[in-house]
Order: sequence, then C-alpha cells, then structure tokens
Amino acid sequence: MTPTVSASGLSLRYGGTRALDDVSLRLTRGVTGLLGPNGAGKTTLLRVLATAVPPDRGAFTVLGHDPATSRGRQDVRRSLGYLPQTPGFHPDFTAFEFVDYVAILKELTDRGARHREVRRVLEEVDLGDVRGRRIKRLSGGMRQRVALAAALVGDPGFLVLDEPTVGLDPEQRMRFRELIAQAGEGRTVLLSTHQTEDVAMLCNRVVVLAGGQVRFDGTPAELTARAAGQVWSSTERDPGALAGWRTGTGSFRNLGDPPTGADLLEPTLEDGYLLTLDGAGAEVAAA
Amino acid sequence: MNTVMEATAPPVVHSEPRRPWAAVFALARFEARDLLRYIPVLVALVVYIGYILWGLLSEREGMDAFPALQDVDRGTQSAPFLLGIALLVCVNRAALRSRRRGTDRHFDVLVMEPWRRTVAHVLSVVPFAVLTALVVLGEFTWEALKPGAVGHGSVAELAVGPLYVMLCGALGVLFARLVPTVFAAPLLVLGLFTLSVFVSAGTSDAEWSRWLSPVVGENSTETLPSDLIGRPAAWHALYLVGLVLLAATVAVLAGGGRTWHVKAGVAGALALTLTGAVAQSGGVSPELTAARERATATPEKEQSCIRHGASTYCAFPEWTGRTGTWAGVVDRVQALAAGSAAKEQLLVRQRFDATYGLTGDTTIAPLTAPHQVTVGTRWGGNRVPEFAAAVASVLVAGDEAKGGELCDGRMVTVMWLALGGAADPIGDLKNVRLDDSLSGSAIVLAPTNPLSMSAGQTSVTVELLKRPRAEVTAAVKEHWGELTAPGVSTAQVARVLGAEAPKGADECEA
Repeated sequence: MTPTVSASGLSLRYGGTRALDDVSLRLTRGVTGLLGPNGAGKTTLLRVLATAVPPDRGAFTVLGHDPATSRGRQDVRRSLGYLPQTPGFHPDFTAFEFVDYVAILKELTDRGARHREVRRVLEEVDLGDVRGRRIKRLSGGMRQRVALAAALVGDPGFLVLDEPTVGLDPEQRMRFRELIAQAGEGRTVLLSTHQTEDVAMLCNRVVVLAGGQVRFDGTPAELTARAAGQVWSSTERDPGALAGWRTGTGSFRNLGDPPTGADLLEPTLEDGYLLTLDGAGAEVAAA
Repeated sequence: MNTVMEATAPPVVHSEPRRPWAAVFALARFEARDLLRYIPVLVALVVYIGYILWGLLSEREGMDAFPALQDVDRGTQSAPFLLGIALLVCVNRAALRSRRRGTDRHFDVLVMEPWRRTVAHVLSVVPFAVLTALVVLGEFTWEALKPGAVGHGSVAELAVGPLYVMLCGALGVLFARLVPTVFAAPLLVLGLFTLSVFVSAGTSDAEWSRWLSPVVGENSTETLPSDLIGRPAAWHALYLVGLVLLAATVAVLAGGGRTWHVKAGVAGALALTLTGAVAQSGGVSPELTAARERATATPEKEQSCIRHGASTYCAFPEWTGRTGTWAGVVDRVQALAAGSAAKEQLLVRQRFDATYGLTGDTTIAPLTAPHQVTVGTRWGGNRVPEFAAAVASVLVAGDEAKGGELCDGRMVTVMWLALGGAADPIGDLKNVRLDDSLSGSAIVLAPTNPLSMSAGQTSVTVELLKRPRAEVTAAVKEHWGELTAPGVSTAQVARVLGAEAPKGADECEA
C-alpha cells in the first residue's frame, strides 16, 4: 500500500525568507488539516505539492508520480484537484462553462463524458440547478462551490484546498464543510485553514506548520491532548500565562503552565494548536 | 520537526493515455464558441456576411452580370477587413482572460501546459478563417456561375481573405503573450495602420513595400487576361502563410513552449515569410512585360476570331464566349441603319493597353483601319452603349478615328443608331455621357477616344429617342444618304427627321 503523497525534506526560499524548511509528510486517504498562522508556509507547501512551484530541495511523489520530471509532473496534475486561496473566475462564463473549461484543461477530451462529469460535480456541490447561470450572478458561497466543483472534476485522487472557507458566512461554511467531508471519502484531501473548527469537524489528521516547519503531525485528538493540564480559568489575566483572554462569562482563559491550584479547564483543539506554536504564535493567534 | 505518517491508501492510477492535442482542439472549439460572444466579432461577422449577401443578391444594372473572374478573386480580399480587426482585438482579450481574471495561478497547475493553451487560442481563429474561406468561395462560385462570367480565378488570390483573418487572430494571441494588457491590441491596430501609411509614403508606394501589406489593392479598374495580370499572388499567399505561422510560433514560444520543435517552427516560418516577401517584390518579369506589349500592340497574334452573321469578332481566349453578346449589339445597331452600313462586314477587335499592368488606367488609340471597331475587356452597364456608340460611329464615319472627330449633324445619326434600339434609350444616353446629362454639350464615352455632342445635337437626339422607334427608324432609313453625308448640319438632320433644330446646333462645344 502506497501513501497518496510522500514528501521528504522539502525546502523553499523566497529571497531571504525560508518559506519551507525540511518538511516531510506522508498523506493518506481522508482529510488532513494544515494549520498555521499567516506566513507559516501553508500556501507555499500547497503550491509545491500542487506542482505550481518546485522545491529548492527535497522530493515528493503524488500517487507514485515524481513531479521532478516533466512527464511525472503531468501525471501528478492528472491526479490533482486544486482550489487556490483566492480562486479566480471568468464571470461571463456560466458555472457549467467554467467547470467544463477546467475539465478541458485537465485533458478530459471526450465531450459527452466530460459534460456528464461536469454535471456530476456540479450536482455534487449542489449547483445543478444554477449551472446555466453566469458566474457574475452567483453569490460568493456559490462561486466558492463552483471552484470546488472545478477542483473535483475528473475525480482527482489528491485534493488540495487552500483556505476554502474564508469569507463564507456560518451557514455557507457549514455547507462547505459537508462538501469537503463528502469529497474526502475515497480520496486524499489536504485542507489548509486558519479555522480550528474546520479541522475539528472535518479532519482525521492535522499538521501544524509554523516558520516553514512542521510543528505537529497527528490526529486532532492528539493535538487537543497536548493542551491537557495547560488551560485554566482565572478572574484576572494570569501574567504567567503564555496567552490569556477574557471569555464571554467574564473570566479569563489562560494557556501555559498553570499555577498550583489553578482551576483547570477541558482543552480544545485550538488550545492545543496555540500551545504548539510555542507561545509567540499563541500570542498572535490569541490576539 | 519531521514526521512520518504510515497509514496507507490504494493509489489511484490513471491508466488511459494522455491525449494532449485532443484537449487542445477541444479548448480551441470552446474558445471559438466563446469568441462569438464578443460583440465586435458578432457585429463584424454579421456586417461581413450581410455585405456579401447584399452584393450578391441585390439586382443591379451594370457589369455585375459579366464578371471577370481574375478581378472577382481579388475583389474578395477587402471585405473581411473589419472581421480581422475584431478578431485581433477579441482574441487578444480572450488570450488574456486568465491573467485578467486571476485564474492563471489555478490553471497553471492543470494538465494542459500554458503553451498548449496558446496554441488553442490561435486555433480558435481557424473556424473564422474557414468561414471566411467559405464566404469567399461562395462569392466566387456565385460569380463564376453567371452566364456572362469570363476568365480564371486564382486560388492564391482567394486565399488572401482567410489568411488575413488567420493572421489577425495570430497577431492578437502574439500580442497577448508579449504585452499582457488588453490595451495593446487596439494600439497595435493603430500602430500598424500608421506604420503602413508611413511606409507607403516613405517608399513612394514601391512594389516591395506595397506587397508587405496583407491585402494589396490595385488602382486600375481595367480588366486584363489572367496571364497578363502579373500579381505575385502565390508568393504573397506564401508570405501570409509565413506571417501566420511566425506569429503563432513566436506566441507559443513566448507562452512557454520552448521546445526545439517550436524553435524550428519559428525558423521555418521566418524562412517562409522572407521567401515570400523577397519573391513577391521582384516586380514584373521581362517575359511578362513582353507579353503585355505583344497583347497591346499586336492583339491579333493572341486572339481567336469568330464569325457571327456578316461580322467577325476577335477576342482573347478568355473572352471568346462573349462574342455572341457583342454581335447582338452590332446587329441591333445595324438594324437601324440603311444602305451599305446595314450590311457592313465589321471586324470587332478586343483591345486594351496592358503596358503598365494594373497600375494605371490608360486610353487606347482609336483604330484607323476601315470598318474595325474596338471592344474592351469589361462588359455590361455603360460599356454596352459605349460599344454601340463606337459601332455606330464606324458605320457612319467609316473608321474609329474619324468617328471620334465627328463634329456635324452625323453625330445625331450616330447616337440614334447607338441607342435607338436599346431597351431604355434615354437612360443609356444619360449613362453614356460623361456628365450623365440630357442637355447641353457633353463627352460621349467609347472604348477608345470619346465622341462629343453639342447642345443642339443632344436636344435633337433626346427628341428622337423619345419618339416612336418605328417612325424615326423609317425616316432615318429613308434619308440615310443625307443624314450620313459629311458636313451635314444638325439643323438639316433635325429638319429631315422632323425634329426641332435649336440655334447653334452645329457647334461642337465639348
């Protein structure tokens, strides 16, 4: 049995900035969440795995194909569905035409089969009824679903989603989570997000990236467990805490090494994530 | 921190072979359909096809019924001008769509490489070039099927319209790849127009610079035999093919397709373009010049003669089928004459001045041999009464040279003979006069030197043409000798024929 994605020692610099630093990963079927603060290297890692940019060092394979070669890169792309962070659209195209266009670029050449596939993915993202509507007349949530349909067309084995729920209202976000969960059945999904709720609800695995390095790789429960005994409540902000904030009840929720006798709280995934960022990130994230 | 997750999943294997070119063609079809949504393209298409249909289907008097196919082929080249410009701008816009809409980042990780997308954009113009070719072919076939059609068309000349459309599309894609802004294409159009004006002025419209333009028109309205035209149409078509391929391959190169195939394609296209450009600017060969001079000076050596009735008609090979039509006019004119003129054995000879090819219109000298009449290469419309006037002047004056010098009452007889048997004599009189007038003095056009009518001759002729034909015919035949006597005055002619003679009718004022 082969992992869908196997990466080892991926490094990439942008000028003087080390965007990726010796990242190794193995991704398998299911939804893997990629968490990290801004500038952590999430989008860079996704773009490397999507073959948009080659790494300076290291290597990876997708479904056994090595993108270091031209042929291998094409084979990877045939197995890839990619939803970029800010997907562009051709507003004068209908939803059907846009996904059909992407399907052609994925080299689905049989017209009848391609059109069936386009209809299928549009049904899958619940846009079957508006497939003839121009994209400029669709809501933001619908457009995001068009982008997901474009990523799904051709039934790719590896789906890369870069912060797909950004900008969506809670209802749209919930709908989108359903779609991602559905998409994760039978394929490998790498989901980059700022939202720990996304990870908690969707992912069977989570990778935390900071400073271009993998800080954590495990299940969401394991990330949550990292905060066990490191979250406590107080009436005032505890100066010894790595991070702390006033909650809706008026008490403070603190993270770090609790003082003796502290009122310990049940940790959440976000607590585990913030503590994984070694305080500095936690400060940022908590702010 | 490096981590390894050991869970496994079955690989998804895409076993079907890649068909990248099938995808390129699918994309080209998509883009071609999309181009139809651009208003300029749609409008240009409607205008182009509408203009051609209007030209073909509208019933007009004139030379439309007697096309010369060696002119018709060239006439198909300028109509797609607007379509080409529209395609240049809109294909450019389509090729920049991904960049404008921010989908490049996404599409660049899809299977089809950006350079293949460039190829697809170029290919998206092909349906429009094919449509243009079909319109051109339809237009040419329509003309060729007319019973009065003569001559031969050139495939190379017919190819210019579609190649021009293709070139515009390829230039649009090229500019999208070189200057990725939608403002570049309109500026390119303006720039090319300005450049062509400056090059034309700077080189005094020299042969080599004239042929750099995709569509090369001619100043002359003369029709020459196909083999004397001397336009380097085939080389020009090769030049255009080279330009299309050059624009396309450089666009692909700029689009990232830096394979040796593409580089070789650029080199090949450049070679084709240069070959065509050099070969087309060679000017007229000495052999062609000699052939033109022969046809101009001694047409009888190149012609076939056919007898219709009493007269003989000598025509260049492409026009022999038209001699019967000429004979119809001669018979009509002679039917109104009397005496020996009614049975005169005329020699109608086709003549033209091909010395300068199609670069200018020249007048040919009148024949001095008796009973010989010149007929030109164009027919229909005004050319018919012009020929009839020439025939009538020879019947009355004896030869063409003397006919051009007529300055007495015989001019009335000439014009009666020329127009009296026509379906619309007054209309023909108006048309055959240079200023389209029905009063006053005027020049009367003829295949060689023009005739001239004084104001008095005009008024008498108009009066005769308005009277019942049989009545005037009988009078003319009865007084034929008097009416055709040298020096007869217009007043005498009017009196004999029962028309009012205006004062000063004998003055040749024109």
